[in-house]
Amino acid sequence: MTAPQIIENILQALVAGVLVGSLYGLMCVGLALIFGVMRVINFAHGDFMMLGMYAAYYIFTALGIHVLFGNGFGPYVAAVLAGPLLFVVGYGIHRALISQVTGTRTLGLDGEGHYAQLVLTLGIALILQNGALIAFGSMPVSIRTPLSISAWELGPFWGDFVSVFINKSRGIAALISGVVIAGIALVITHSRLGKALRASADNPVAATYMGIDVDRAHRVAFGLGVAITAVAGGLLATTYPFHPFVGLEYVIVMYAGVVLGGMGSIMGAFWGGMTIGLVQQMSTLVLPTQLQNTAIFVMFLLIVFLRPQGFFGRVVERT
Amino acid sequence: MRQDRSLLAILVFAVVYAALSLTVTNSYYQLMMTLVLVWATMGLSWNLLSGYTGLVSFGHAAFFGLGAYTVALAQNYFGLSPWISIPIAAVLGGIAGLVVGLPTFRLRGHYFALAMLAYPLALLYVFEWLGYQEVSLPMERVHPAAYMQFSDGRIYTFIALVILVLVMLVTRRVERSRFGLALMAIKQNEAAADAAGIDTLGWKLRAIALSGMIAGGIGGFYAVVLLVVTPIAVFGMLVSAQALTVAMFGGVGTVWGPVIGALILIPVSETLHAELGAWVPGIQGVIYGCAIIAVMIAAPEGLFWTLRDRFFKRAPAAAAEAPPPSPENVVAWSAQRPRRTVGDEVILDVKGLSKSFGGLKAVQDVSFQVRKGMILGIIGPNGAGKTTVFNLLNGFLVPDTGEVLLNGRNIVGRKPHQLCAMGMGRTFQIMRPFQRMTVADNVLVGAFVKAATDEEARRLAADAIRRVGLADHADEIAGGLATRQLRLMEIARALAGQPEILLLDETLAGLGHGEVDDVIAVIRRLADEGTTIVIIEHTMQAMVRLVDHFLVLDHGAVLVDGEPEAVTRDPQVVEAYLGKKWGAYAHN
Amino acid sequence: MLTIDRLDAAYSVLPVLKGVSIEVAAGQFVAIVGPNGAGKTTLFKTISGIVIPSAGRLVFDGQDLMSVPPSARAHLGIAHVPEGRQVFPSLTVMENLEMGAYTAAGRRAWRSNLDMILTLMPVLAERRHQPAGTLSGGQQQMLAIGRGLASAPKLLMLDEPSMGLAPAMADFIFERLIDIRRQTNLTILLVEQRVAEALETADYGYVLETGRVVLEGTNATLRADDRVRQAYLGM
Repeated sequence: MTAPQIIENILQALVAGVLVGSLYGLMCVGLALIFGVMRVINFAHGDFMMLGMYAAYYIFTALGIHVLFGNGFGPYVAAVLAGPLLFVVGYGIHRALISQVTGTRTLGLDGEGHYAQLVLTLGIALILQNGALIAFGSMPVSIRTPLSISAWELGPFWGDFVSVFINKSRGIAALISGVVIAGIALVITHSRLGKALRASADNPVAATYMGIDVDRAHRVAFGLGVAITAVAGGLLATTYPFHPFVGLEYVIVMYAGVVLGGMGSIMGAFWGGMTIGLVQQMSTLVLPTQLQNTAIFVMFLLIVFLRPQGFFGRVVERT
Repeated sequence: MRQDRSLLAILVFAVVYAALSLTVTNSYYQLMMTLVLVWATMGLSWNLLSGYTGLVSFGHAAFFGLGAYTVALAQNYFGLSPWISIPIAAVLGGIAGLVVGLPTFRLRGHYFALAMLAYPLALLYVFEWLGYQEVSLPMERVHPAAYMQFSDGRIYTFIALVILVLVMLVTRRVERSRFGLALMAIKQNEAAADAAGIDTLGWKLRAIALSGMIAGGIGGFYAVVLLVVTPIAVFGMLVSAQALTVAMFGGVGTVWGPVIGALILIPVSETLHAELGAWVPGIQGVIYGCAIIAVMIAAPEGLFWTLRDRFFKRAPAAAAEAPPPSPENVVAWSAQRPRRTVGDEVILDVKGLSKSFGGLKAVQDVSFQVRKGMILGIIGPNGAGKTTVFNLLNGFLVPDTGEVLLNGRNIVGRKPHQLCAMGMGRTFQIMRPFQRMTVADNVLVGAFVKAATDEEARRLAADAIRRVGLADHADEIAGGLATRQLRLMEIARALAGQPEILLLDETLAGLGHGEVDDVIAVIRRLADEGTTIVIIEHTMQAMVRLVDHFLVLDHGAVLVDGEPEAVTRDPQVVEAYLGKKWGAYAHN
Repeated sequence: MLTIDRLDAAYSVLPVLKGVSIEVAAGQFVAIVGPNGAGKTTLFKTISGIVIPSAGRLVFDGQDLMSVPPSARAHLGIAHVPEGRQVFPSLTVMENLEMGAYTAAGRRAWRSNLDMILTLMPVLAERRHQPAGTLSGGQQQMLAIGRGLASAPKLLMLDEPSMGLAPAMADFIFERLIDIRRQTNLTILLVEQRVAEALETADYGYVLETGRVVLEGTNATLRADDRVRQAYLGM
């Protein structure tokens, strides 16, 4: 392999890492929002993302989005529309189930309360995965867009030797992800809702004294977190095929990103997810593809052991 | 007698199950009879770690899968019979437990659960990458029995039953030994367990090793039963989830919970899978999911405990004790503090102790001495640094500067359980008794640190219970005790470790006036019997009747150190408690 | 304005309040004093709905508080300045004050309230864009009080505003309370360990000891009563 080829490979992996990393970052933001506000680790988060993928798929095919917006941009419109739909789903599931074991009624509990929350979301994960299997079947599906087989070319640099290709489909997905992240950041920092969510995260009891309905704030945060990750899922579905158990493949990516970003820090989670994407893509330069996920798990374990407070953002874990 | 009855129950269960399985001839139902036992065993494995210690594992599939692959690969590559490779699988599972436990026990709560999840998933991809997508156990035609291959499915059921009964007996034995008590103490309050002389990391490692052994062994047996091993079937999420679900559904922290859970859930889900699996492929997972959610919401402790509590209702706590007489005018008490004589021998010498958290100086240059047989009261307003001083003394915290000499030896830097063994006993402000255990068993936890045998521990515990005056309540369940008795039980637990010096953290909090007098009398008697006592309290009220000497802390520093009479008249103390301007009024 | 009638409350197994009755009239400044562990903070948490009483009655402004969920109580006009400040550490000073003004009344009076708060405690204006977690203890206490005022409350409840503060800072905080009282004529319920300062600023006082009201009276009566000292010091 010549030097320009090596450089080209590295640059190409870097670009691929940024593209997939921006989607991972979006997923992680959804999980981090839930963890940051509620201190609940949502075990079913990958499966909500899977629901987002199917939602985008059916919105695209069944709701006639492909007719309205065409096959090129329709999938992205569908992915974004999956957000509000999954918000309702997340909000509803929180209200019906998760609020039974979380929120103000468990403020006084320490160890035992969290235990119940973790296990409850595990139950939800099992129902979502297997329910999806019943509803959608086990055949992998994908949302096809003609953009996924065309690319923008950057370069050539270094004379004529090095050029980098950006897949159009992934490029647009990354752009949309950036816009969504920016929107979320604005809402969290400047809106009354965002401030109320942060206040509830900082100190739920004091937030109650301010007149903030912390249980409702939790429901909104849960719905929002699910919706954000669902959009990420919808965007991911434009390039990767998916199936009912796809959530498991991403759930560790999300945990790793969130822990890396400093549990609960929202922008930290984005950079954490981005880092995971880069590591994953760069690892393909040296590792067989099947071990990509193992590389992520090993990295995740290393982060948890060496620096559980994360690399980005502040330490927010109480006690 | 109670022990014999529970042993009998296990035997009766085994006989009934064996008899039942003899009547089953349909091979599908035979398999199901076996699988119930496999998952009950797996649930017990999970229960041994997570049920008793409270550290939730989402990764038991790692041990199970390693066991299954050990057996499958050993037969394929080395022609090893499962009769030999299943024990090997168990040993490997145990080793895997240690390897996983050593780093992972540094984590708590969420982090522990998440890290445990990563192990089986990482292994799953590794085994796929190694090319073991599907490993079959070869049929042995010459000596099938030597390779654990039988045409009669009922034999598998019997083997599984033997394994399950063994595991139940082991679990039962663990539960009743200092091992189980140590694990339960960790679950209630790891810090308190540490302070009671329990080597928490050591016991947790033993628990995960034993748990890994059971999971590895039953995983190996599972490979034999199904004859084919795939990564997803043995390392998949459903394996860990199933272990957790049968245990939580049936009830955690008991031998019977996982067995009951498996007996109900496995047949239901298997039958549905068989009947409807063709049309509704994910029905099993949905059943487990619903079971978990239903249990968490309706009976968070599992069927066993919920039913037990319902059918063996105990007398309500309030009725257990007549209210102590309490004078209406609470301010006017009259008991006088008798003078006590205290020797000159200094057993605890604290020199220049300081500790900061971030910028906050929690304890600044605190020095004091405790003489043998003395009752020292440490008082001060909220946030004065009292509990921090205790945490520095018993090893929860390491001071930034200063020395703590216990009988002349500097103990700074030693671990709480080591200090407990050296004679530093302590109680906690927040009581967390084992609600379902008897007073005697609650106290027993504290006795092991000084006892070589279980009998000796029981003797020490009984002695401690007698000394605090709870002998009549020794066999009652802690959940039914009143506050005063709980406080005394806490003291007894600390006493059972034969401490030279006993640190009491707000033992009088939340007690009514008559109750305070009772507890004070007990503490004073302990001091008369030779135990040295240091007690924290933020109210001075009761303390002036109890202590020989006061140490008043304010903003982390020693404000005054002196006899009770002098301290209560000290203007600085009056100011710290009543405000600067009080002195001015009092003098007017 | 606030009637507390024979209230009982418990924390898991520990009974904390036993038959506490307290009356706060509109415009009155009432202090509840007593040694630590007397149940003062629990009493406040019961009023705010964080602790559910086991018996007794709570009436605020003619309304039975038991039927009002905790988060709705602030909207009735109860501002709780909790023990140990409990500001929102990751929010800036201004955002903390905005959260104080989460109620409709607080939003309506936001401009004038903000002026008053920043004039009373100018240090908050200096630090307005700083995260509250980086403030000193005394500054956090001022912020907590400011946050309470920002809700334009009918009743301001202060839980141990002097706790953990250096004496000079505690004095400063008490002076601010006197200013606030003079400027707004708010109804104030103060819980304090430091009896002298608390009684000096208040119109009427209650002495709470191990969950019971053992004495009550006007400032002058209580100051003259040696039983107050006994409740604290035991002799």
